[in-house]
Amino acid sequence: MNIAWKEIKKSKVRFMILGSIVFLVSFLTFIISGLANGLSQDNAALIKNLPDGQFYMNEDAEETYNLSLIDPSIQEKVLSKQEQAAALSIQMGFLNDDEDKQRSVAFVTSTDSTLFENVKEGEIVLDRSLEEEGLKVGDTLTNNQFSGKFVVKGFVDQQKYSHAPVAFINMENYKEMHRVNEMQLLFIPAGNEFPAIKGLQSFSNSEFLNTIPSYSAEQLSLNMIVWFLIVISGLLFAIFFYMMNVQKIGLYGILKAIGVKTSTLFKMMWTQMLFITVIALALSIALSQSFNFIAPDGMPFSLTAVTTVQLSIVFLVIGFVGATLSGIQIKKVEPLQAIQQGEV
Amino acid sequence: MTIFTINDVRKTFITGEVAEEILKGIDLSLQQGEITALVGASGSGKSTLLTIAAGLQPASDGQITFNGRNMTDMSQEQIRKVRASEFGFVFQSAHLVPFLTVEEQLILMLEVSQSKLKKGQQKKEIGHILKLIDMEHRKNAYPASLSGGERQRVAIARAIIHKPKILFADEPTASLDSKRSKDVMELIRNLTKTLNITTLMVTHDEEMLAYADHIITMKDGLVE
Repeated sequence: MNIAWKEIKKSKVRFMILGSIVFLVSFLTFIISGLANGLSQDNAALIKNLPDGQFYMNEDAEETYNLSLIDPSIQEKVLSKQEQAAALSIQMGFLNDDEDKQRSVAFVTSTDSTLFENVKEGEIVLDRSLEEEGLKVGDTLTNNQFSGKFVVKGFVDQQKYSHAPVAFINMENYKEMHRVNEMQLLFIPAGNEFPAIKGLQSFSNSEFLNTIPSYSAEQLSLNMIVWFLIVISGLLFAIFFYMMNVQKIGLYGILKAIGVKTSTLFKMMWTQMLFITVIALALSIALSQSFNFIAPDGMPFSLTAVTTVQLSIVFLVIGFVGATLSGIQIKKVEPLQAIQQGEV
Repeated sequence: MTIFTINDVRKTFITGEVAEEILKGIDLSLQQGEITALVGASGSGKSTLLTIAAGLQPASDGQITFNGRNMTDMSQEQIRKVRASEFGFVFQSAHLVPFLTVEEQLILMLEVSQSKLKKGQQKKEIGHILKLIDMEHRKNAYPASLSGGERQRVAIARAIIHKPKILFADEPTASLDSKRSKDVMELIRNLTKTLNITTLMVTHDEEMLAYADHIITMKDGLVE
């Protein structure tokens, strides 16, 4: 006989209260995690979509990529040895359309590479979000630092940088616009040798993300909220089960007196915790995934299945730890003490 | 036939630097199928003796032998197993599990005692016991909806459903009125005689002594 289930059935309200609290906390965690991930994509999809690898920037730039200038001779040496490597530059700027409407974009240019869009001089490839704003293939765009005009050649999905859509342009156009001859960064994808290059500092993808102004501050704040919520849910479990266990000390004592094993009482508590958490998580996953689809266009929200599963596992572990800590009382209960306390 | 013996059992409680000897060397034996009543004034040590005999707390000294086995040498787990399968308990209050029906209280006890009865036999046995305590019609009721007398009858049924060898009853009629007390004692007597269960009972109520085969009077931690 499953006494855990019998108690849930008889004390529905009590367990529904705990379940609804777990549901609300986990739902909030999923939503904030979705926002954190969405903002992260919005801030650095250009980098996050790259395969794992190593970025190089000038040591003198002190981890600020837009101050970095790669010596052309070093660049040539690296690119000639590593076929898949690319040199790239990123610079924030503006594009004006025919109606002189200005749009903020991140201009990106690179040497010939399969990792980035390769565009001819005078052409531009834009992030899809600009198509949704009304731009079309064939439209012409201008920039006050560029003498010519850019013709829109196409759109690409999920290419954002620093909360702005990416605009891939040709290297020569980029050099003219920003009056530089050097590129800012080198990128060598994994699977290749990562040489130590004198005068250059190397970064993994995640290390490079943290050099983007505002990225780590933004992510740190949101992830801190997510972890606070997870800890709060663990505390909720511990406190709720502690309160329930205190109320049931007499019952546990009587059950022990008639010969029920302490491990059976723990299993009863764990079963109840698992039941509540699984139902609460199932509901919050369903709702947060629905939110994934109905979130307003302007809201950077991205809740992946992997994040959902990871957070769900964390919730289950935290719930288990919280319930077990509160269950230490069960181990301490003396049958005699319970009998002397009177009716349970 | 002697099934349970207590030899020179002592119990001392130590509070701070004060040691108080509650039991000062008790000897007694229980005969199979008989009801032994422990009587005495409050503080005479009868409830302490009952709980030590039932394995709910250890003696400070002395020996307890049950069915040829020395219980004072047993581990906590071994004592738990004895309590689960060979002892039955009735307390002053019924102490039923609030979220189980009458029938489920009995199923739980059969499971705890690791009864080898199959489901069908379990149902039959439960039906039989419920008939004996006249509670068949309330088998799906929860404790909260039962009267005090009904609850105590269910507690008795729970104590004997697994056919224990010894029933320990600590003032089983304390929370009942005179009429219900007599009914409950009648029930305990009939069941223990029918099932050949040995009973050790603590009582304050002199009227209940009529149901006992032996009466042991305790005073100041000693058998008089």
